[in-house]
Amino acid sequence: MALLTAHKRVLHADLQGDRIRAASGSMVAVEGNVEFTSAGMGGGGGLRAALKRAVAGESLSLMDCAGHGRVHLALDAMDVLVVDLAGDTLTVESEHILAHTEQLRLDVQFAGLRGVTSGQGLATTTVTGHGQVALVSEGPVMALEVAPGQDLVVDPDAYVGSRGQLSMNLVSGVSWKSLVGEGSGEPFSLRFTGHGLVLVQSSER
Amino acid sequence: MTYPPGNPYGGQPGPGGNPYGQPQPGYGQPPPGYGQPSPGYGQPPPGYGQPQPGYGGPPQPAASPTGTTLNPRTLPDDDNVNPYVFCVSLNGDWFMSKGAMLAYYGDVRFEAVTEYSSVQGWVAARFSSPVYVQDWVVATGHGKVLIGDRGFDLNSYDLDDGNLTIKAGNLCAFSPQLELKQSIVPGFVTLIGTGKFIASSNGPVIFVEPPFRADPEALLGWADCPSPSVHHDAQWMTQNIRAMISGALGRASGEERQYDFTGTGTILLQSSEVAREDPAVLRLVESQTQLLTDSQAGSLGQRLIARAQQQH
Repeated sequence: MALLTAHKRVLHADLQGDRIRAASGSMVAVEGNVEFTSAGMGGGGGLRAALKRAVAGESLSLMDCAGHGRVHLALDAMDVLVVDLAGDTLTVESEHILAHTEQLRLDVQFAGLRGVTSGQGLATTTVTGHGQVALVSEGPVMALEVAPGQDLVVDPDAYVGSRGQLSMNLVSGVSWKSLVGEGSGEPFSLRFTGHGLVLVQSSER
Repeated sequence: MTYPPGNPYGGQPGPGGNPYGQPQPGYGQPPPGYGQPSPGYGQPPPGYGQPQPGYGGPPQPAASPTGTTLNPRTLPDDDNVNPYVFCVSLNGDWFMSKGAMLAYYGDVRFEAVTEYSSVQGWVAARFSSPVYVQDWVVATGHGKVLIGDRGFDLNSYDLDDGNLTIKAGNLCAFSPQLELKQSIVPGFVTLIGTGKFIASSNGPVIFVEPPFRADPEALLGWADCPSPSVHHDAQWMTQNIRAMISGALGRASGEERQYDFTGTGTILLQSSEVAREDPAVLRLVESQTQLLTDSQAGSLGQRLIARAQQQH
């Protein structure tokens, strides 16, 4: 079975006759006999998914890597984190997905108003199944725990993804009135309540 | 892991009594008193952390993909979480650069400095820099605030009745005990008093002592020594003196222009010359054009138009 290992800012994907999907243009080197084919957009196949993507603006261009050998993948020298999924769901901004193993299913989930304000699309991507997904981030990812009575507020640009039973609300951080006529700071933030983990990167771009 | 730099470049800031810029000795090594949560916050109420009564138990352990899970109890008090993220244990007010907040736990509000100072008189006294006031907020409340800046290295500095001047774009946050003033050198601000501040650097901070000439882009700040003067390379001067007289001064500068430091103190450098566009510099320069007469302002305008056209 294909194995993903993070090696600093490069992802090693070891293939044994199977395939993985990776962000288009992320291949930096390859050892062995691996074939690359464009796999179209992520977020699930079919017309319904395509329509959702068109509405949501959540786009992710992927390629299939199949064969025997090791593929080295990287994006803009960003940090790489491999997340193991065992039947549960990871919610992630599509731009942070570097690669995932074949058995995982990607889908687009509407995220309400959040996308409107962060400018990252109206929806986020969910990754479900058994396998591995590799994420890229600016700076190392921190896993912040959310529990009842322990809400977390995150800057939309620092948000990478989340897992667990969480609900996300939009809050205005800086009082709205005081921002009139001034540049943006943290006009909107995401408040997470429930039980789970929120992945946050160390840069707000 | 070794962090913060702790002067890996041998530029020792000098023996004791350094009120400035000594990065906290303790990444991963909690400061004294760590472990005793400050009253008010961090002291978990009884039953906190355990599933609430009536709550059906945690749905799943939610294994952390990063190996460690952070929550308000495991986050450090006023220390680095990793080289790029600093955790402020907020209990009252802090000044923060807009956009520096990554995430927070607890009850925290962010108010624009302009708004807040009309309610709280002390704010205006502490933040005496109208050019930068738009870029800052006051964080008020109780909680743990994580701050970061473009993924740059973050260091905290303790001032003890001292002063330190730093590039405004690299200053992320400072405690309200400190006073912020605008430096004479454009794009820099001076912090005065006793307190803590957090600043970013692209790569580790390098400490050097005067006499020293620094590249303006790599210069992060300086402490205790007089403000620098501008030094032009002698050879460049001879070659360009004719051009200068003919009025071409102010062209794109290169390595020939440096900041010259004298006296005693410490200079802070970063290992990269990539600077962020500081919106305040425009306001700063614009405010200084009031020194010009009307005809001078007109000819400056023509030169700026010519420069903008050249670049297109």
